[in-house]
Amino acid sequence: MRFRVRHFTKAALVLGFGLACAASAAPGKGDAAKGAALAAQSCSSCHGPDGNSAVAAFPKLAGQQEQYLAREMKDFKEGRRESEVMAPFLVSLNDQDLADLAAFYAKQKPAAAKGGDAALIKAGKKLYLEGNSKSGVPSCDGCHEEDGTGSKKFPRVAGQHVDYILEQMRLYAAGKRKNGVKVMLTVAERLTEQETRAVSEYMASME
Amino acid sequence: MRRTLIPFALLFACHAHAANQPRAPGIETPGYVWNKADPETTKALLHKGDAARGKEAYRVCRGCHKQDGSGLVNGDYPQLAGQLSSVLIKQMADMRAGRRDNSKMHPFVGMDLVLTDDLADIAAFLNGLPPPPQIGKGDGKRLERGKELYKKDCAFCHGKNGEGNAKWFYPKVSQQHYRYLLRQIQEIREQGRRNSNPDMIEAAKDYSDRDLEAVSDYMSRLPEAQE
Repeated sequence: MRFRVRHFTKAALVLGFGLACAASAAPGKGDAAKGAALAAQSCSSCHGPDGNSAVAAFPKLAGQQEQYLAREMKDFKEGRRESEVMAPFLVSLNDQDLADLAAFYAKQKPAAAKGGDAALIKAGKKLYLEGNSKSGVPSCDGCHEEDGTGSKKFPRVAGQHVDYILEQMRLYAAGKRKNGVKVMLTVAERLTEQETRAVSEYMASME
Repeated sequence: MRRTLIPFALLFACHAHAANQPRAPGIETPGYVWNKADPETTKALLHKGDAARGKEAYRVCRGCHKQDGSGLVNGDYPQLAGQLSSVLIKQMADMRAGRRDNSKMHPFVGMDLVLTDDLADIAAFLNGLPPPPQIGKGDGKRLERGKELYKKDCAFCHGKNGEGNAKWFYPKVSQQHYRYLLRQIQEIREQGRRNSNPDMIEAAKDYSDRDLEAVSDYMSRLPEAQE
């Protein structure tokens, strides 16, 4: 299954609402128990019962940052982050539902990462921790933390599927993912293909 | 999935999607006034910087300037720990407004992540950090010449210990990496740093490369070298 993203057609909307979206990111207090029921109903067939999706095209959500989850779901629902797959599942959910879902997934335990290509992981780790000052690529740990768990403003990347990370990096580099903060557009654009693949492998390998 | 997306990514590879840095008038423009008051700098200067909030806002800076503010010893990124708050605010605001060209850094001080008050908070956080253990230095061969030049041309504004002057927005030049200092004075001399103080251009314009290296080397060893 392919996670398809339509061509970017709402430039004005995205630009106009860019700041509003950042401001509206703070969710109401989420109820993880209610979120669990919603997740079982609408999300688990793709993202897995506990958010540890088994399919590379669907991101793992277990242990993801609560604020990030709430913001992304709202952005999918309202078209700032484009996805033909996600929007229909979210259209009937209100802000409280999204907060409940975010609270549920944030509390789930991320499954242990599986091994990948050792040489790529090693190169990716160096880039993750040091960046590339010649091309202006910051180290990833600045925002995503040394262990990849993220923080209030920045998502968890540890243990994520390689294919999902790569697809997001391509969308950023092509200027097609513009919701939320904008620095990733710059980072993805400055990374070489080899660097992108290496750092994705390293992120996927992090526990 | 990868196969279908790679040509797609290449197609767009030459497009700059991140917002380009704006360009404001600078040293090349007749009637240029250094450090002319602008609303954002003024607002940030009036905001009482909160170091704890600044530590949070600084996260996006850490990828280059590091948690301890130390940047890179090779000078690719400057050392910021202990720098004067007014200087940090001015330079960040200048980059946002396009008075100081820095396409590498510009996307990381965008309004989507860093608000005007954050500039003051980040500055307060950095100002309160202790100097890092390692500072990049020159070869140490012409320190006497560097000292002589520093005392003659630099100490009046930047202080005899390189401590700078917060009131006048003159940066602290002690505990800064040699390569960064050297690159900045070269850019100032060649009028490529467009938010330069004309007094700095005047002071540096007749310097040879060797003298710029000597004085940068001396500065990178301040305050210890002063004693």
